[in-house]
Amino acid sequence: MSQESRVGPNEIITIGGLSYRYYGSAQLVLKNIDLRVSAGEIIVVAGKSGSGKSTLLRAINGLIPHQHSGDYSGSVIVDGLEVSSTKMSELATKVGYIFQNPENQIFMFSVERDIGFGLENLGVPRREIRERVDWAMETLGIKHLALRAPHELSDGQKQRVAIAGVIAMRPKILILDEPTSLLDPFTAKGLVKVVRDLHDSLGITVLIVEHRLDLVAQIADRIIVIDEGKVIYAGPPREVLYNSETSLYGVTEPTIVRLAKLLPFGKEALPISSDELGRQIRDRIKEKGRVSPA
Amino acid sequence: MQWIASGFLFVRGYSLIHRMDPRIRLFLAATLFIVGLLSQSVVELSVLIALCFVISLVAQIAKRFSKSLVFVGGLSFVVFLISVFLSHQSVTAGIINGLRLFEVIQATSIFFLTTTPDELEQVMRWFRLPIDFIMVFVIAVRFVPVLLMDAIQIMDAQRSRGLEFEKGSLIQRLKNTIPLLVPLIAVAVTRSLDLAEAMDARAYGALRRPSSMYVLAMRASDYASLLCFALGGALGLYIAFFLKLF
Repeated sequence: MSQESRVGPNEIITIGGLSYRYYGSAQLVLKNIDLRVSAGEIIVVAGKSGSGKSTLLRAINGLIPHQHSGDYSGSVIVDGLEVSSTKMSELATKVGYIFQNPENQIFMFSVERDIGFGLENLGVPRREIRERVDWAMETLGIKHLALRAPHELSDGQKQRVAIAGVIAMRPKILILDEPTSLLDPFTAKGLVKVVRDLHDSLGITVLIVEHRLDLVAQIADRIIVIDEGKVIYAGPPREVLYNSETSLYGVTEPTIVRLAKLLPFGKEALPISSDELGRQIRDRIKEKGRVSPA
Repeated sequence: MQWIASGFLFVRGYSLIHRMDPRIRLFLAATLFIVGLLSQSVVELSVLIALCFVISLVAQIAKRFSKSLVFVGGLSFVVFLISVFLSHQSVTAGIINGLRLFEVIQATSIFFLTTTPDELEQVMRWFRLPIDFIMVFVIAVRFVPVLLMDAIQIMDAQRSRGLEFEKGSLIQRLKNTIPLLVPLIAVAVTRSLDLAEAMDARAYGALRRPSSMYVLAMRASDYASLLCFALGGALGLYIAFFLKLF
């Protein structure tokens, strides 16, 4: 079958029958994964620790199989390129990857130098590097940090610098692996807003591994639940979060969902954000004068 | 250790020396180093040492510069003792050896105290050193404060579990560092693996000679400084080779 026929229209990621076992490990981390992602989607990947979420994302940006040896079978096609036969440096221009700990992805002595790091590696001319670095800093609102050293930044600022370093390379896909795990709730919320703004303004495809679904469910087009290397559920956030079985696979019910289930709203009202829940309560009060069973 | 470090860790400043192109600073330090290394005269070496002090005053680093002198002075005295008592050289030769070591360390210190790691990296790129070598240097320096914070956290964790690092004989104190060093090495290795992945994800290694966001550019004042230092160096070498000073 030709590559074109395997990839659907508007599909930016096509994974077919992907299985992977790390070198020296007895168990498969990914088991026959099939997944199709359309350009411009925001996808949240959820599941228990060790379920294979990060491994799946590493298979999309090429760290697997290029940097991790192991048993690899199946196919991952990203923007028309078969990952296993494409150089990491070429994939880096397609897929931007934000790791859990921003400290470990800032290499240079100043913010602007670090944002330009990937572009320097690609041999982009100096003037264009300058333009793209300035654009990335403005987009992330960190222009005032340009000459700061990494150790002078807060964790939230470091995460923004890491994102700026990635988007300066103008990737079509942005992958974030537990980006809020080291952030306080306020900063984490700010980061999610940054991701949504980037998606809206650049039309970038986003994949986020995140345990705090309260934060990301409302910006997601789909939630994918992975367990023991298999995709268990994949669907719109409401469908996945109001499915009573997903909690069995390490998906923590957001507070709003728990609260909504306690309220007598019926099955047609499935809020996934505090704004939606508030709106529904207001509508109900307006309609019936009080919140009562449907 | 702090005495040694204080002589080589960059001090932010805006002096005449700091504003020079880092290559000119390197040329100045290298000139002082080479002339000092080749000089056979107590008088010339003393003048060079005085010159280093004057430069440190101009660069506004004299305070930091002086801090390392106790250590450097001690080391020079040891060289004097070895020259006179173990190598059986004359007292004059011993003094020259001691002063020479003192001077070359000072010359090196002037460069490192006035050059940011960023400038140092650019100088390395200008010399067309391999990018892997440059990145090893950059990451080693960049992660000094990070590993220091890791070490402090591990020490606090071990102290809170009852470990007393300062207790016991010298041997015992050395043994006490094992619960610090083992987790610190483990953390450093984990970090290095994460770093390697993050660098690959940003196209590291795509080209043997990556482009650079900054470029070093010489100004008229840098050319003037270069001329002065070159003339001074030539004079120093002439004195070292052709004038018989004490």
